[in-house]
This record gives sequence, C-alpha cells and structure tokens, in this order.
Amino acid sequence: MTTCLSDIAAPSVARAARTVLERSGVEVSVPRRQTCCGQPAWSAGHPDQARGVARQALRAFAGPDPVVVPSGSCAAMVVHGYPELFAGTPDEDAARAMGERTLELSQFLARHDLDPGSGARGTVTYHDSCHMLRILGEKTAPRRAIGRAEGLELREMAATDVCCGFGGTFSLSFPEVSGRLGEEKARHAAASGADELVACDLSCLLHIAGRAHRTGVPLRARHLAEVLAG
Amino acid sequence: MARAGAGGAAAARASEWGVTRAVVADDRWLDELGVPEALSGAGLEVVRWPTGRDWRELLGLEGPAWTCGVTVPAWAVAERGTLALEAGATHGRSIDVACSHHLAVLPAGRIVGTLAEGLALSFRAGHPPASAVSLVTGPSRTSDIEKISTLGAHGALAEHVLIVEDARSS
Amino acid sequence: MSGDVVYRDTEGTLRERARDALEDEQLTGSLRAASESWAAGRRKMGELHPIPDLRRRAREIRTENIRELPALLDRLEERVTGAGGTVYRAASAADACRYVIDLARARGASLVAKSKSMATEEIKLNEALEEAGLRVVETDLGEWILQLAGQHPSHIVAPAVHLNKMQVAELFARETGEEVPTEREELVAFARRRLREVFAAAEIGVSGVNLGVAETGTLCVVENEGNGRLVTALPRVHVALMGMERVVADWDQAALLLELLPMAAIGQDASTYVNLVTGPRAHDEVDGPEELHLIILDGGRGALRGTSFEEALHCIRCGACLYSCPMWRSVGGQAYGSPYSGPIGAVITPLLEGMRGERSAELPFFSSLCGACHEACPVGIPLHDLLVRARAAVNPPEKRQARWLFRAWSQAWRRPALYRASVAASRVGMRLLGRRGWISRRLPGPVGAWTDQRDIPARWPPR
Repeated sequence: MTTCLSDIAAPSVARAARTVLERSGVEVSVPRRQTCCGQPAWSAGHPDQARGVARQALRAFAGPDPVVVPSGSCAAMVVHGYPELFAGTPDEDAARAMGERTLELSQFLARHDLDPGSGARGTVTYHDSCHMLRILGEKTAPRRAIGRAEGLELREMAATDVCCGFGGTFSLSFPEVSGRLGEEKARHAAASGADELVACDLSCLLHIAGRAHRTGVPLRARHLAEVLAG
Repeated sequence: MARAGAGGAAAARASEWGVTRAVVADDRWLDELGVPEALSGAGLEVVRWPTGRDWRELLGLEGPAWTCGVTVPAWAVAERGTLALEAGATHGRSIDVACSHHLAVLPAGRIVGTLAEGLALSFRAGHPPASAVSLVTGPSRTSDIEKISTLGAHGALAEHVLIVEDARSS
Repeated sequence: MSGDVVYRDTEGTLRERARDALEDEQLTGSLRAASESWAAGRRKMGELHPIPDLRRRAREIRTENIRELPALLDRLEERVTGAGGTVYRAASAADACRYVIDLARARGASLVAKSKSMATEEIKLNEALEEAGLRVVETDLGEWILQLAGQHPSHIVAPAVHLNKMQVAELFARETGEEVPTEREELVAFARRRLREVFAAAEIGVSGVNLGVAETGTLCVVENEGNGRLVTALPRVHVALMGMERVVADWDQAALLLELLPMAAIGQDASTYVNLVTGPRAHDEVDGPEELHLIILDGGRGALRGTSFEEALHCIRCGACLYSCPMWRSVGGQAYGSPYSGPIGAVITPLLEGMRGERSAELPFFSSLCGACHEACPVGIPLHDLLVRARAAVNPPEKRQARWLFRAWSQAWRRPALYRASVAASRVGMRLLGRRGWISRRLPGPVGAWTDQRDIPARWPPR
C-alpha cells in the first residue's frame, strides 16, 4: 500500500518501501487500483464516506498476500478501524481478513526477521507516531530496523511517545494547538543532536518538518523507509 | 509497644504536639491502658466522648486551638498505613478530623494485610455496618495549590498511631 | 433526560478559547508542572503495583456493573432506605436541583456546605440554590479558591491546578480584606480557619459519591482534605448526589476500585480519607447527620446503555485521562467550557446533552486521537474510539460544511482513475506553488488552516 500522502507529497517514500522489501528478498506487487485507506473521513466523523473509499482498498488488496504499508497510521486504520467500519455490512469478513494480513513496514521486517542491508550512515532520532505506538502496539520494530543498519546510530530524543499534534483534521480545526505540539516535537528532535528525524508516518513528518521550517528550527527529516533504502 | 507504655507514650506525644485538650473516645480499653489518666496527668483537659460541647469549640474556632482526638481504630492495613474508624456510641465519626491532632491507639491484633480484608470486617453479610466507616491514611493534605502537597487542609494537622500489643483487645 | 452540561458563561469558540489559553504562559507552566508530577507518581505506581492486571479486572467489573445497572440500583436503593436513608431518582438536572431546594426550604436551611462533586457542577446546583436564596460555600480548598475567583475548574480532581500561590493569596486578601501571607502552608491554614466556620454553621452538607456499594447500601466519598468527612458528619442533613452509573455490586469490587482510584488519580497508594457512609446516624450516636438523602441522577446516562457509547459509563472520574492528554496539557480544562474536560469530557458532554448541544458538539474534535487517554485509563475505556464515534454522532457547523467536501472526496477517491488524476493535479499544484522546495505562503480554503501554522515541503525529502 503506497498511501495517499506518499502519492501526493512524497512518492519517494513508497518507492523506498518497495526497495527495502525487494532488497530483503520479498516479492512485491503494487496494485494499480489502490487509492486511500479511507481514514481521513473515518476520523473526522464521516463513516459512510470513509466506507466508500475503504471498500476500494478491500478490492484492490483482495487475495492472500500480506499487505505492507509504510505508515503506522494507515496500517492501524486497516487493522483496528476496518472491523468497526464494516461491521454489519456484507464486507465484514473481507475487512477482518485484510486486517489480519496487514502490517506496517518495520513490523513486517521484524516479524519475518528481514534485513534490507541498509548502507545508511549517520545519527537519527525516532518519533513514536501515536497510531503505531498505541494502536499497533509497536515500539521495538522500527528501532530494531535502525539498529540493524550498521552505519546508523539512534539517539533518543525527549518525549518520543508524546503526540506530534497532527491528528488528521485536528491539524486544520485547531491549528494553533497542533502547531504548538509540532513545534515542541521539532525542538526535541533538534535538541537530540541527531542528523535527522525519522518516523514511520509521513503525516507526522510533514507536520513536524513543516512547522520546523516555519519557526526556524533546523531539522532534517525523512521517512524510515527512505533511510533504510539508502 | 506493650500495654504498660501506652499511657506514657500518649502523654508524650500530646506534649510534643503542644495540645492542651484531648477528646477521648469512650472505649473501655483506653481506660484499662490508663490513657485518659496519663493525658490528664500531663496537664491536658480530658473530654470524654460523647460530649455536649459545641462544634465551634471542638473545631477549634473557640477555646483552645490545639485539641487531640484519641480514637481506637476498628482495624488497620499494615502496608498502606490505613486506619479504619467505625462510628458508634463510643466513637463519633468526627473526632479525628474536627480536632487539630489525631492520636490513634491501635490494638496490634487488629492489623490486617489488605484493604479488602479490612473492609470484609466492617461489611459482613448479615451484619448491619456502622453508619460511618472512615478510612484514614496519614494526615489531611491538599495539592490544590501549585500541585505541591501541603498538610493540614481540613482534617488533622498531624496523626500518630500507637500500636499496642494486647491479647485481650481484639 | 438531557439538559445543558456546558457552562452558560462560556464565550467564543473552542478554537478561540484554546488559542487564548496557549498564550497564557503562567497557565502553561502550571499545567506542565501538574502533569509531570502526576506522570511521575503514575510511573511509581506502575513499579509498585500490577496495574495491567488491576486494570483488566476493573474493566470486567465496570462492564458487569453497567450490564446489571437497573438491578444494582434497585438493591442500592433498598439497602440505603433500609439503613434509614431516603433515595430520590432524578431524571434530569432540574429534578435534582428542585429536590435539594425543596428539602432546604422544608428544613429552614440558609447555608449549604459542599464538598467536591462534579455531578453538582454538571447540574448547576450552586446556581440553583443561590437563586433560591441559599448561601453555598465550596469547602474543597481548590473549589473554594475558584468560587472566590469566580472561575470554573480546570481539572476534575485538582480543580485550581491552573493558579499559582501568588494568585491564591491575592484572592484570599480580596475576600477578607486582610493581608494574607503567600506561603502555601499559611494559605492552607487561612482557608482551614475560614471554612471551619462553615462546617459549624451549615444546616445541609452536599457531597458527591465516588462509588455506591449495592451490597450494603454504602456510599463512598473519597478525598484528601477532610472536608468531605466534615460535610458528611456535621450538618444535620446530608445530601449525596450520585451519577447513576457509579454503582458497584459488592465489597470485592469496591475494594479493587478504591485501591485503583488514587493510583490513577493522584499517583499515590491511597487517598487520605475514604468515607463509607451507610444511612444517617444511628440512634445512639451524637454526631453524624440526622437525615441522609441520596439523589441518583440519570441526566442522560441511562440512554447510553446498550449503545456504542456504553463504555463511557465505566468512568470512575479519576482524571488520569486529562493529565495524559496533549490537548488538555496545552490549554487546561477551562477552555473546554464544561465541568467535564479532557478526553472523557469531550465524549460525555455532548452525549449527556443528547447530541443536541451546539457548543458541546465541538468537543470531540478537540483531539489528535493519540490514544494516550486509553493508555492512562485505569478501567480501560477506549476513549480514542469513543471520540471518533462521537464525531460521527454530532453535527456542529464545521462538520456540516465539511460534509460536501468529504462527499466529493469519497466519490472521487473510490475510483482509481479519478484518484490518480487528483493526485497528479496536486503534485503539479505543489510544484507550482513551491519556492525553493517549500510552500510558505498562506493558502486559501480548507488547506488554509494548515498553512497558518506550517510550511509545506513541495519536494520530499525536504532540503
């Protein structure tokens, strides 16, 4: 699953995810008919609109293969949100089945003990995006992937597990609070002394990097997939 | 401590606190230990419960500022430091908070291991419970100002528990 | 029945109030200190106690309580009545207030002493009593401070957490016309003396109820200051207001929740005072109230049973979700405009108003859905899921405006060809708008709020 955010704002992320998987010896197919997981509408309180789009995901990813997503947020939507979204509809079983075979990228690597042999060098600091941390319950897989890259050193920043303030439509409805939290996160990242900030969610990164650039906090940011593909 | 020392210890604590009056629960065991006598001997005015005194006095709004309430807890939880006071004819439900200081004289045999065990003593099937069972853990405190704990909000400013070994008291 | 839960004097939009709160540096500092203190205590509790196990059992207990609610309430009523108390089932806030006013008039009361109760805030009891000519004094130190300041609480357990000691001293000085010392201990001693006058004189004491134990008809009032005990012991009449969901079956359940509550609420092993009241004073007692009145409040709660919002009724009002919420920590509770703030407040305020409140409809959107609240909740309520469900159920103006946008989005993005076309158009747009890899200007329309605060990288990775 490439994710709509990557398609629009950062196609390099989806490409990097594919590279990482192929280098790990995994055969990857990228279904042409995929669009978006439907989360924006679901989180904003428009479940009917979300369902229409999510159904397309069920169709695009039908079949037995595991679905790998370079996004904790989208993976959480499929795993945790789809059962509720499709409860009581004819797609209920298909939704549950898809949820059972969907994993975030670093989760997939950890689960199957894969190593893409990353040549990345330098220091990174990692942001625990909320859906990844609390809904998928995944804190170690991304750190293990960073640890496996011999040239990379992880420098933990303060408050890695505090929300960056993106929160989907929250960022548009309450931009000041959202911006404040993003700025705090950017400052923590800069204060860690690491060369760059990495995370498994492009939404967090766009928000944090965007806020950092606006407020003059010097910060480089990339998605974990891009770092591992390097 | 052993029975013999209870009276002296109570008087010593009262002197340390500087209280001039004691309101003592009407529990015969306290008399047997000689606690009211010892307090009187230390110069405190000893008032027995139930007292006809006005609340304004007992609350320290009139008369002596420092009064020590002396109670006998029904049970206590060791690890938590919780005392359970049961209201009844001998014990009001207010002595320990109305007075400025609280001295609890606790029979060692009434100490239980967990809160659940203690509650089971006060709330037994087929046995109407006391109208008020008051659990007390430490002196009164508030964190309402700057989230820093300050003692002596409304209840006792200080609390002391005398644990007395006494086979006859449970 | 549901009525207004939000405060009547709340002004502006939630966004405006939140923005103003962000500018208040003193508030920000106070909130940060309070949250860090709570978090440290909570961590310590986690080291000393098997919190995950306790939490699991607590969730089971509360699920059972709500499932068996009618029978439990009947048994509670039976036992309280048997112990000499009077029970009144109030369908609405107005019913509950009317009961207390009628009682006060019948007893010739003029002064009411209150210990902290969120339910009394919810039903606006103080206002109703004052309108009926009664004097009401909050005796919880934080609540009394707020009463003097004319403010609403910012947290359900530590209501004045947003004020510092200088502000408190100023308030006391204004109230009494005296010089008031500014050290904490002396401020507390000052309040103690003033409020003891109230305990001595009040004819009616009003308290909340943390838990009602059906097995014995016992009301649990948990507190740290001692005012709860004095309010339920000295005045002749004790009125206890209990949300109907706050009932447990027996003492095994009560023991577990009474242990868990202070761990979650204040990060400590025990609250100072747990007052377990069963009926009014017995015939041979000389202190204690002569009358006990238990008001069981529905106020919109009953309607939640059997719905996807039922778990909101599991709440034991510990306030942990507030301290853990990045939104609450940024702006405090007063910005919410409701006695119930934080994640639980954002869910139950609109629910208790029957989804009809205009102002409460904004509340479920004031969340980044980070899930920290669920993690902090000692009874395991999935607040982050309830917030999403609440968003689907309310209909504030912004959401109505956004509906057409989401409809168009849904029609387009379920079709791969349209999706790809809109993606391509967006990519072109970003490239055109970008200057040296960034879009730094303010954009119009729905995206405007984004560019209000952030630049957009026109290229990724950003330079």
